[in-house]
Amino acid sequence: MRRHRARLAGSYLLITSWLLCEALVPVVIGVIVDRAVATGELHELAIWGASLVTLFVVLSYSYRFGARLGVGALQRETHLLRVEVSEHVLGADGARTGLLPGETLSLATSDAETIGELLWHVGYTLAGLLGVVVSAVVLFRIDLVLGLVVLVGVPLVLVAIQVVTPLIARDTTDQQASIATATGIATDLVKGLRPLKGVGAEDVATTRYRGHSATARDASIRTARSVGYMFGLTAALSGLFLALVAYLAGTRALDGDISIGELIAIVGLTQFLAEPIAGLGETSAQAARSFASAKRLVDFLQTPPLVVSGTATLDGPDADITIESLTSGPLQGLDLHSRAGELVGVVVDDPATGDTLVRLLRGEVALADRSGSLMLGGRPIDDLTIDSLRSHVVVCHHRVDLFEGTLRESIDPDRMLDDVQLAEVLAASAASDVVDLHPDGLEQPVSAGGTTLSGGQRQRIALARALATRAPILVLDEPTSAVDAMTEQRIASGLRDFRHGGGSRLSTLVITSSPALLAAADRVLLVDEGRVVAVGTHHELAARDDYREAVLR
Amino acid sequence: MTRHLLPIASRRETTRLAASLLRTHRRPLAVSALAFVVVGLAGLVAPWVLGQIVDTVIAEESSSSVLRGALLIAAASVVAGLGTAVSVTYLARAGEPALADLRERALDRALHLDSSRLEEAGAGDLLSRMGDDVRSVASSLTEMIPLLVGSLVTVVFTAGGLFALDWRLGLAGLASAPFYALGLRWYLPRSAPYYRRERIAQGERAEALVGGVQGASTLRALSREQAQIDLITHHSRHAMTITLDVFNLLLRFGARTNRSELIGLSLVLGTGFFLVRDDLTTVGAVTAAALYFHRLFNPIGALLMIFDDIQSAGASLARLAGVALLDPTTSSTAPSPVRTGTLELTGISHEYVAGRRVLSEVTLRIPDGERVALVGATGAGKSTLGAVATGLLKPTRGQVAIGGFPLDALEPAHVRSAIALVTQDVHVFSGTVRENVDLARPGASDEEIRSALSTVRALGWVEALADGLDTVVGDHGHPLTPSQAQQLALARVLLHDPAVAVFDEATAEAGSSGARELEEAAIAVTRGRTALVVAHRLTQAQSADRVIVMHDGRVVEEGTHDELVEAGGRYADLWSAWSS
Repeated sequence: MRRHRARLAGSYLLITSWLLCEALVPVVIGVIVDRAVATGELHELAIWGASLVTLFVVLSYSYRFGARLGVGALQRETHLLRVEVSEHVLGADGARTGLLPGETLSLATSDAETIGELLWHVGYTLAGLLGVVVSAVVLFRIDLVLGLVVLVGVPLVLVAIQVVTPLIARDTTDQQASIATATGIATDLVKGLRPLKGVGAEDVATTRYRGHSATARDASIRTARSVGYMFGLTAALSGLFLALVAYLAGTRALDGDISIGELIAIVGLTQFLAEPIAGLGETSAQAARSFASAKRLVDFLQTPPLVVSGTATLDGPDADITIESLTSGPLQGLDLHSRAGELVGVVVDDPATGDTLVRLLRGEVALADRSGSLMLGGRPIDDLTIDSLRSHVVVCHHRVDLFEGTLRESIDPDRMLDDVQLAEVLAASAASDVVDLHPDGLEQPVSAGGTTLSGGQRQRIALARALATRAPILVLDEPTSAVDAMTEQRIASGLRDFRHGGGSRLSTLVITSSPALLAAADRVLLVDEGRVVAVGTHHELAARDDYREAVLR
Repeated sequence: MTRHLLPIASRRETTRLAASLLRTHRRPLAVSALAFVVVGLAGLVAPWVLGQIVDTVIAEESSSSVLRGALLIAAASVVAGLGTAVSVTYLARAGEPALADLRERALDRALHLDSSRLEEAGAGDLLSRMGDDVRSVASSLTEMIPLLVGSLVTVVFTAGGLFALDWRLGLAGLASAPFYALGLRWYLPRSAPYYRRERIAQGERAEALVGGVQGASTLRALSREQAQIDLITHHSRHAMTITLDVFNLLLRFGARTNRSELIGLSLVLGTGFFLVRDDLTTVGAVTAAALYFHRLFNPIGALLMIFDDIQSAGASLARLAGVALLDPTTSSTAPSPVRTGTLELTGISHEYVAGRRVLSEVTLRIPDGERVALVGATGAGKSTLGAVATGLLKPTRGQVAIGGFPLDALEPAHVRSAIALVTQDVHVFSGTVRENVDLARPGASDEEIRSALSTVRALGWVEALADGLDTVVGDHGHPLTPSQAQQLALARVLLHDPAVAVFDEATAEAGSSGARELEEAAIAVTRGRTALVVAHRLTQAQSADRVIVMHDGRVVEEGTHDELVEAGGRYADLWSAWSS
């Protein structure tokens, strides 16, 4: 709130002024009828007509600028919160949030908005309070008894509606839930349309959707009935109360206690008051919602970083990975050394082993969750800065994340490569096929997640992106699992030529079961039950039954 | 590349469809309309009675007429309350079933859409229609339509009430209408593009955020996280700017509405002043008129404000109607004439884009029960041939026949029951394991399902799940690995029990370790059927009865694994690299 002090102060002032003007409109109508229409005095009409115009001008401008300032503050605050969320989750050291992407999205949109709305609601509440006070003063000046009846009666009517509604109306959340379910089923079926068509199950799927759609329909009808009852109740009760006020005010006027103008003003204020008082009633619920959102956001922003890091840096590009008797999750005393210039293949018996290795080399496994030593360039990786670790070791996970942009941007986002280098990268990763298939070549659009590409195409683009970094140490996890056999062969020799040509100091670690890639490796480690059980070239290891079992498929 | 989006219904088609859907729910609709009229009439009572009271006070009559007036207001309120409840309830009873019919019909047409037509349009278009558009129409039906009709009724009846009091007062009030109309004409053309841009900007913002969160570890690995934060900030600021601009526009529109209100109110009061002075009407009538007009502020404001939403809901309705109005597929109940699974492809050529030939003159005969593997590099045309063989893709030239019947001559349902296709598109349907599997044969017994699962080596892990067959899987349920998902797809094929099974790299997404099991499952499923397998691993080719090697859309080698290795061609090179 402090961030927008000036804006909010101005907004609150103007909104208050607007609400007061709204309250005064029926009062002025009453005065005009009383002083001008009933008397036929032209100059009274002129004076009070001018007042009506002035009132509307103030009303209109107050709202326009008050709302503009207020919503401006709300939107800015929401934006800043959203940026904070993304900075937290995308920080260099990451965040151990445990949330699904959808949950993070709702935190950055609906929760951030709910928090922002509080700013606006506070102003509205303040204005509403003042509106009620001013109306009370006007009412009491007209007539004490009537004033009391209105000021006590309006909240009573509102409370009565609040109390009775839950008794006759059911919760509306089951309607929203059932509509969401039906819609979810529909989109799910459309997403799975190809597998569905493959076994000709369109009719079965339609029948299933009908069931969910009917549930949603029935829930909607139930909800409409509840809403109808509530609206009806509101209309009836407020009308009945109006009848009471009209009777009391009418008899008072007949007795000559109040004027006609005052009569109209009382009736008008009775109707006006319902709105700010209802708003005040909702304030606590709104505040509770905003605070709940704020708490979720704060909890989120306080989640610990994902990556363990220190302050040391490495000199020079050459550094080797040394892993000794490392135990963590599926790893049971793993030893692994990388050497400059070497292409190393790692064959694992269980994907979880590869996954743990990847997270270890990214610094994402907390110290408490592992034992043994994990060094880069002779230093424990936990002592290194994040940038120092990342500039030496680039680790690519099996799951491919692509981002929206052109193909060129996906592979070389910072434009580090010239055309010749880019062509080399494309050839080595066989991503050149993807480029050639599209008339726009490198400028073809890539959608977020690469949804328009096949799994094999996505993998090759990710591989090209990894090669383009020219990292001193590159770790690849199953880089060709969705690529056909012929292409896999090309990638194996491409990788060899690109990173391990004559005299190269680059080293590459490939977790794979592809015989083509393993045949290209200088050295292959066979990992079974979390430890290295054999080391050798692909040809040497091919004599072992367990190796053939794991590789030659 | 331009997309051939699915059709969008014209205004007339949409209206006609809506009318035909509502016609079946005529009775609740009529009740609702009647109730709205009652509410509108009842709403007129209070201001009119208040005007009467003013006249009573001026004429200094007895207080009994004040009491009578108050009782009249009370009675009208009760009637209005009942009417409101009935009108809203019955509107839903007419509208909700009509909407349900519409969305069910749209989904039916969507699911039966021709595969090639769907590829052309892109799944995204269909997804947004069945998702966002259905949501938009549904929420407008529950939230906006009652408000719209209610406000319209109030406005119309109040205007009528003004005229009933005194035609000159009515004219004075009506004189404000052009100013409202001018405001709307100023606002709508300006706001519509803004709202569109706002929705796009918010979509981009969500995409940048989700993309960033999902890809956070990749972005970190590539030291690109700051770029993504900048992108999110940029999209967020952009969306905020548009939101503020459009809100500003709304406020200026609000100011124009205020101006119209002032003009109308002043005219009513001014006219009333002169009419009373010339004794043409009473003070009470003018009071009632002013109160009538003041009472219009909220419903008119509501009408003006929901105009945008109504327009966008109308656009959603037109997009839904576009799908719902597609031709229905006729399904026949006659038994299929197909007896054997002999698959014959004759002279197949195909071009996705004119002039770019993907398949050239492929002729292939697979006798009943044979298992054939297709091998070749990416772009050789294997997947296209697979799609053509299943009948899901119509080739530019050539003919496909199953069991001696050309596919064109068969009912679509008979083609589907004879040939199944499993691709590498893995999808777990939201629902239980049972629902995922029995899609292919609804009402299959537990025994049948268990036996299918056991054949595809999935029974073990399914039974280990918390609720076994009834465990909810998919988006909001228990997560399955790609190979488990594909096992369920294979189990579906078993229950579907087609004569021909076409697998297009069905085991590719499984990663390395699950692949062997999936491979065995796939072989088990093809047992006793004709099978065309687009091979991803050469072991699939090794175990096949016959291997076909494709290159540039043509069949270049053909024979058993051993024969081809012996022959020393492309396949032999590949095999030696693979197995060395």
